[in-house]
Amino acid sequence: MSVELASVHPTRLELIRLRHRKAMADGIVDILKKEVDALTLNLLELVKKITPLRGKMYTTLREAFTLFVEAQMTSGSKRIEEASLVAQPIDFKISDEQKKGLLGLMFPVFQLIEGNQILGPRFNPLDTPANLDESSSKIKDTLYDIVKLAEIQESIKILLEIIATKKRQMNRLQFKILPELEATIRYIELILEETERQDAIRVRVLQRKRKELALKRGT
Amino acid sequence: MCAWKYKRIMPKLTVDKLKLMKPKRITGLVGMSLHHISSVLENTSYNTQISEVRSKELTSISLEGALLKNFIKTYEEIMELSPKDVRLLLSALLMKFEVNCVKAMLRAKKAELSVEEAMKYIIPAGRLDEASCRKTLENSESIADVIDLLSDLEYGSVLEKAFEVYLEQKIFYLLEVALDRHVYYKIWKAIGKFWGLDKKIARTVIGLEIDSVNIKTILRCKAMGVSENQIRQYLIPVSEVLGEKELEEAMSGLDIQSTLNSLVKSAKHALARDHQYVFAELQDLHVTSLTTLETVLDRGLVETNLRIIKRYTPFFNIGLLLAFLNLKWFEIKNLRTIIRGSEARVTPDRVEKLLILQR
Repeated sequence: MSVELASVHPTRLELIRLRHRKAMADGIVDILKKEVDALTLNLLELVKKITPLRGKMYTTLREAFTLFVEAQMTSGSKRIEEASLVAQPIDFKISDEQKKGLLGLMFPVFQLIEGNQILGPRFNPLDTPANLDESSSKIKDTLYDIVKLAEIQESIKILLEIIATKKRQMNRLQFKILPELEATIRYIELILEETERQDAIRVRVLQRKRKELALKRGT
Repeated sequence: MCAWKYKRIMPKLTVDKLKLMKPKRITGLVGMSLHHISSVLENTSYNTQISEVRSKELTSISLEGALLKNFIKTYEEIMELSPKDVRLLLSALLMKFEVNCVKAMLRAKKAELSVEEAMKYIIPAGRLDEASCRKTLENSESIADVIDLLSDLEYGSVLEKAFEVYLEQKIFYLLEVALDRHVYYKIWKAIGKFWGLDKKIARTVIGLEIDSVNIKTILRCKAMGVSENQIRQYLIPVSEVLGEKELEEAMSGLDIQSTLNSLVKSAKHALARDHQYVFAELQDLHVTSLTTLETVLDRGLVETNLRIIKRYTPFFNIGLLLAFLNLKWFEIKNLRTIIRGSEARVTPDRVEKLLILQR
């Protein structure tokens, strides 16, 4: 810091400039704090959504698996395996768009799109139990929840990165830039005070000498 | 009716029926380990097939295979001792299992499985023994080839017609539906060869089975929002109780309850006592779950078979024979449910809900 102070011109102009910079830095820190607060609130709202959605997804998956096992129990594991070999596959696509959110940040929007709408049963209705269809339908419902969860988790990831960046910026301002500015301002003020003091002494000395000279001339 | 034609088969059926497991013994297996279940089954009529399953390969699939092999063997033994006209019906009924081999071969070709992998799904039955199935799989590369190689059996001609629809609509199970419908039509035609009490019993028991299949199909397809035109493709309108007109009425119901109401009405109109018992129970339960409905329908079949034995003298008619085969089949289904439930660690109360036992 002494190297940096040595490079500073200790003038009044520089002091004014530095004070102006400090005021701006204080303002930026305030704005950053408010932004971090807003982003944190948004983050907490998203986090609150995750737990019930995850719970719903696990419950539906558990029900789907139970129904699948019950289908194996009633019709036989081999029969169900055979049916699954030739079941009509459902094509899913995920559309990945972005939408503007808080503070103009771009958040992802995932949407699950069924590629081919299957009109009718996926399995032979004469040969397979109804709980196989029910299981298949629950798995399909779960996929929508999974995609929604992925969207929320991605948004949380983005928010966490932005919050971390802003906090780093805030910390840099608060603990590096502002103290440096304050130190520099203090330094310049001290130099200027010292200069003023010396000037005052010089003026007093000069005045005394002038008085003495005037007195000598008068006699 | 020549009652003496049953003289050879009746003693065997009487003994085999006594070997069926009591409901209490079956429910006693719920929640037990596979080892315990297999050791209990070794003391039953499944002894031979269960012993062949090695202990290190003790899985639900290996046990299920053993049970099915026992059923096919029992079936073929009964067929051998049966009179000629009854044998015709039994061979038609055996087609339900034969056609599973055909379906397994078609599915294997569609999924491009190797011959060894495909053979794991095949339980040989009737005219389709292991060697013929293996030969068919080895000499075919596509579904069309399998259909060509089955041309010496009636399945070939049935599949040829269905193949064109499959190529157009690209829905594989239409081939399977065509096979299933053909089998049930064949079974109903074989019943027509009987007369007197045998015909009455066969029409009641098998008619209720076919009607159950139709009802399950209608309810399931309606729950999925399938159009009536498409549902018609899957139905088997042969029964005297639920013919084409009655099935159309059932299809037009807005929900499960209205469909059941129309079924009860049709059963009353046809004076079908056994159908009324089953449909009235469905109506009274007010269930909305399709799985529960299917279980109730199957239980209705079990109770109908037991009623047939009590209602008509067990000897000298086809009642005991059909009832025994159905009861044996449901016993295997129950054992399969318990075995898979044990492997998957399903709770005992959930397993018991799926068992098809008389009350």
